[in-house]
Amino acid sequence: MKFIRVNMNEQTINVEDVPQDYMGLGGRGLTSIMINKEVPPKCDPLGPDNKLIVAPGLLSGTSLVNTSRISIGAKSPLTGGIKESNAGGTVAAALGRLGITAIIVEGQAQEGDLSILRIDKEGEASLIPAQEYRAMRTYQFVEKILEAYGKKTAVLCIGPAGEYRMPLASIQTSDIDGRPCRAAGRGGLGAVMGAKGLKAVVVDQGGKRADAIADPKACNEAAKVLSKIIKEEFINVNMMAPLGTAALVAPVNSMGAFPSYNATKGVLEGWENIGGEAMAELIKKRGGNTTHMGCAQCVIHCSNIFVDEKGKYVTGSLEYETIWAMGGMTGIADLDTIARLDNLCDDIGVDTMSTGVAIAISMDAGHKKFGDGKAAIEMVEEIGKGTEFGRILGNGPAAIGKHFNHARVPVVKKQSVAAYDPRAMLGHGVTFATSPMGADHTAGNLVGLYLAQQLDPLKPEGQVEASRFIQTAMAAFDVTGLCFMASVALLTPEAGEAFLKVLNAKLGTQFGPDDFPGAMGIRVLKAEKEFNRRAGFTKEDDRLPRFYYEEPLPPHNTVFSITDEEIDSTFDF
Amino acid sequence: MRMRVKLYGTLSQQFPDYRHSQGIEVEIADGATVKNLLALLEISESQGAVVAMEGRILKADDKMGCGAHVHVFQAIHGG
Repeated sequence: MKFIRVNMNEQTINVEDVPQDYMGLGGRGLTSIMINKEVPPKCDPLGPDNKLIVAPGLLSGTSLVNTSRISIGAKSPLTGGIKESNAGGTVAAALGRLGITAIIVEGQAQEGDLSILRIDKEGEASLIPAQEYRAMRTYQFVEKILEAYGKKTAVLCIGPAGEYRMPLASIQTSDIDGRPCRAAGRGGLGAVMGAKGLKAVVVDQGGKRADAIADPKACNEAAKVLSKIIKEEFINVNMMAPLGTAALVAPVNSMGAFPSYNATKGVLEGWENIGGEAMAELIKKRGGNTTHMGCAQCVIHCSNIFVDEKGKYVTGSLEYETIWAMGGMTGIADLDTIARLDNLCDDIGVDTMSTGVAIAISMDAGHKKFGDGKAAIEMVEEIGKGTEFGRILGNGPAAIGKHFNHARVPVVKKQSVAAYDPRAMLGHGVTFATSPMGADHTAGNLVGLYLAQQLDPLKPEGQVEASRFIQTAMAAFDVTGLCFMASVALLTPEAGEAFLKVLNAKLGTQFGPDDFPGAMGIRVLKAEKEFNRRAGFTKEDDRLPRFYYEEPLPPHNTVFSITDEEIDSTFDF
Repeated sequence: MRMRVKLYGTLSQQFPDYRHSQGIEVEIADGATVKNLLALLEISESQGAVVAMEGRILKADDKMGCGAHVHVFQAIHGG
């Protein structure tokens, strides 16, 4: 249990034991509570007072499967509020195996300096000059890093967009195959890393210094039970493995809730061409992989490898949200173009979601036509090249809306919405409006409840309560490093009990169901809300854009109908 | 009444001749419910099938409408 504090001003590294205040925290819990405590809320997100915190989950590095989510937190240059964005891949497990609770990057390097933070298999950290990698795209960069430090190296890095300090910049992480195709995409954390003068964190995956487990036998036994449950869970086996998250394209379009053509329609013309079923068929026909293992210790295999007509790699894990942003919002119903856009975003280091939405806004404003794939690719290339237009686009959807004086800008706190229209799935509107992160589906996604018919997506009743429940649960699970697909398998009493056993056996605690997820989730959300309040946010910031209340969405032709008072009661803890 | 049903997720795997462009044409009694349709297609409850028509998810006892586009997919959580 140690913190690695990196001072970019002095180029020094201090290793310290985890202070009492932060004990029992990991992932989002650690990043958010630390930001609230240590980062001045009104600081410049791209200045020296901001901190970039990289934290594996509490269970990363244990024997429990699917626990390699890495949380990255800072004050966001996109939203101006607190931000945690998490990603899969290999780096969380690698840090967990070294007993590293968090890396905290502080200060700011001298203008023009660029470094890599390397952590070897003994857990020793060092800063290495990285001028030779300046403005290098992520795929080429990671290839060079693996050549230099070995194939069993986990990489967390930024591309040119991060170095340009763009609010759309992501932080990419490497998957099992050493490709930088996983992203902590949201909130512009890549820009914070770039502003600090840090190109990458490079971690040896061979560490054997994981934290001591309070009761190793109980932990391993419960982890074994849970691993079996996660591996055999019905949706994971029947949907996630063969089709991945792209399986959502069919139900969400069938429910008229797939925001299309910059959120002017709820069904995309030609959506069947970009759904999970069509994608799996195409990948199989071309010799790609539909059941790819992307993250360390994964037993679900929801990832895929998308290849071109010649069978050559195009991108890794083409996901639902990217398919929506780059396909639905832009009207580009073509998987090859979407896959190319996904790869470009990963390579340049930008969030596929906010980037796709920014492109869609420009199309809606008449800059280019909906459906023009070539134009979309050129626009993303402009971000990579840092052209004047690319820099405007790289500032995000709100900035591009302002540039074109276009009012239909689907963002909350300047972060784009996700692939569920709030007019046809009301609860998502509650989550988008109230999440301290800005519009964010991972903060509290209700589509599973709608499909299970536990809640009517078009009726206001019950939406606030459901969003509150799921946002609280997600805030807690984001502490542990467990991926969302695995957390879904915990819905049975047996699985929930086994999960608490793992957690208690790891930490030596006596948590019950009230403590986790309930109390933990509330603690994290309260810290996040408090930071945003001190940064100047009010309840007026917890609102959807006006057009959601005024423009009916076909095919249901409904508007967002949850009142401001109801929205404001979401976090009445 | 006759209706055309399209299958999503991995449901089509149990129909070897299924072609997605055409879906499946079924003959079902007037007033038949969602439950009746799934029974006819031999899709069991454990498969998590969800039936949608005209942009709305139907409950097991809801009646199937005539001439409507019917989509049958499987429950899934967010991604």
